[in-house]
Amino acid sequence: MSTCVLKTENLSIGYGSRCVAEGISLQLEEGRILCLIGPNGSGKSTLLRTLMRQIPPLKGSIFLGDRKLDRIPEQELARCSAAVLTGRPTPELMTCGELVAMGRYPYTGRLGILSEEDRAVVRSSMEMTETAFLRDEDFTRISDGQRQRVLLARAICQQPKLLLLDEPTSFLDIRHKLEFLLLLRKLAETQNIAVVLSLHELDLAKIIPDRILCLKNGHVDREGKPEEIFRDDYIRRLFDVEEKTYIAVYGEAGAPF
Amino acid sequence: MTDQRNRRTGACFALLAVLLLGLGVLNLLVGSSRLGVQEILSALLPGQGGSMAASIVRSIRLPRLLAAALLGGALSVSGFLLQTFFGNPIAGPFVLGISSGAKLTVALSMIFCLSHRIAISSAGMIGAAFCGAMLSMSFVLLASRRLRGMGMLIVCGVMIGYICSAVTEIAVTFADDSNIVNLHNWSQGSFSGIDWEDLGVAALTVAAAMAFTVLIAKPMDAYRLGESYAQSMGVNIRRFRAALILLSSILSACVTAFAGPISFVGIAVPQLMKRLFRTAKPLVMIPACFLGGSVFCLFCDLLARFLFAPTELSISSVTAVFGAPVVIWVLLTHRKGAER
Repeated sequence: MSTCVLKTENLSIGYGSRCVAEGISLQLEEGRILCLIGPNGSGKSTLLRTLMRQIPPLKGSIFLGDRKLDRIPEQELARCSAAVLTGRPTPELMTCGELVAMGRYPYTGRLGILSEEDRAVVRSSMEMTETAFLRDEDFTRISDGQRQRVLLARAICQQPKLLLLDEPTSFLDIRHKLEFLLLLRKLAETQNIAVVLSLHELDLAKIIPDRILCLKNGHVDREGKPEEIFRDDYIRRLFDVEEKTYIAVYGEAGAPF
Repeated sequence: MTDQRNRRTGACFALLAVLLLGLGVLNLLVGSSRLGVQEILSALLPGQGGSMAASIVRSIRLPRLLAAALLGGALSVSGFLLQTFFGNPIAGPFVLGISSGAKLTVALSMIFCLSHRIAISSAGMIGAAFCGAMLSMSFVLLASRRLRGMGMLIVCGVMIGYICSAVTEIAVTFADDSNIVNLHNWSQGSFSGIDWEDLGVAALTVAAAMAFTVLIAKPMDAYRLGESYAQSMGVNIRRFRAALILLSSILSACVTAFAGPISFVGIAVPQLMKRLFRTAKPLVMIPACFLGGSVFCLFCDLLARFLFAPTELSISSVTAVFGAPVVIWVLLTHRKGAER
């Protein structure tokens, strides 16, 4: 019995008059992870930004739970959907603890002062992401791997039902990529959060998500479970690479580790 | 560790309060006519008006001291708001040309009113200054859409400032005789010549603007992570940015209307306060900047009156001597990554 958290119907995304991709219909239940893959410019980030309501959809509709996304008031939206964005924020003189506590924004009062309950959520979010020891460190002075985990802790702190991550692993080395995604997997399952993320690492896309959505040339090229996507030489066709280069880059089929 | 932070914040506020009090007393004591402590004390108490000392203290020193504290605080909070808005550590009402824009419109309306023998009210002055501030601000905003990087924005602001100052100078040169001296003094920046009526209007305006500023401290905090994160946490970006612009313009317009353009306080004080408090949390920084700005301006005004007495320096030249090095220091120690 899992409830549907996110649903889109015949969604067209893009900027102004320029349509990036159209006809996107997807559905995601709580605790599930959906991974977006596709070549650069295929609309992965655009789709995520549309789901975050940072840009309006060109056509079609998005539902969070049973409500239309554009009807949800700002504060309420922030209570059910949280984000980890690309790029690295560089706040001046901010400790990791303060940054994570920012996730309580939609719950605190006019002046943003944390209640005892808020503090408890901050603590548990940092513990879940193994960042509690970073609490008093300056956010701009920690390693990239730690930084992504702190940003994840901030998003968890919002206690969302839906978590949207735009290429969360791009600055990390392979070990930290894997650690981060396994942590995400664990959080999705234990906290019952639906997760949508975009990835460039196909080897990891094979093992982490429940479902994969492939975007290419302005439409959904394929959608399904990882084993359905990574069949035959579909990936090679998705990225338009020659057979030899693909093998050289990713090796033969099988586990990458 | 968090306790340690709170203790540091408390200690810094206490330090600022002591400095404010001390400088306030010094500002009362020091002046061109020598007054004893006894005389000043009795002048401050109600009753026994009429004496020379009482009138000096009540109508010259006290309003001037309060004006320096009030307007200094307003100016540095205005700078802090602008730094938040532009994500730029050296933004401020003076370097962005906002003070100069306000100066221009105030000078023009003063000249107009003087030549037509109309008395201009304190509120009218603030209104005129606000129009000028918004005029400069809209130029800076237009420019900021096209310019990348913090350097170019500042250069653009300085240019706007020069244009406004030049027009003001021309207007003052061709203005009618009698009040030119007064106008000239004002356009150089000074806390002198502010009466109790001006002070009351200024205090009301600043208090209202400060109350609203405290109310946007929470979105300001979220905004430190960048616009997209702030939005994802439920900040209405458009409304928030409009509030920042309006409040910083009102605060700096109020200062310019009564004290003329005062340089560098808006940049230097927030930077000093961030380093003193070791945090940039708006809820701490807003009161800290206000107190810090009061202390800074009381100190500079004291020097302006005392250093070459009886000749008085313009307040702007003193604040520049202490403020400009801070800007250079910020530029030298600013880490590349901290640009947004």
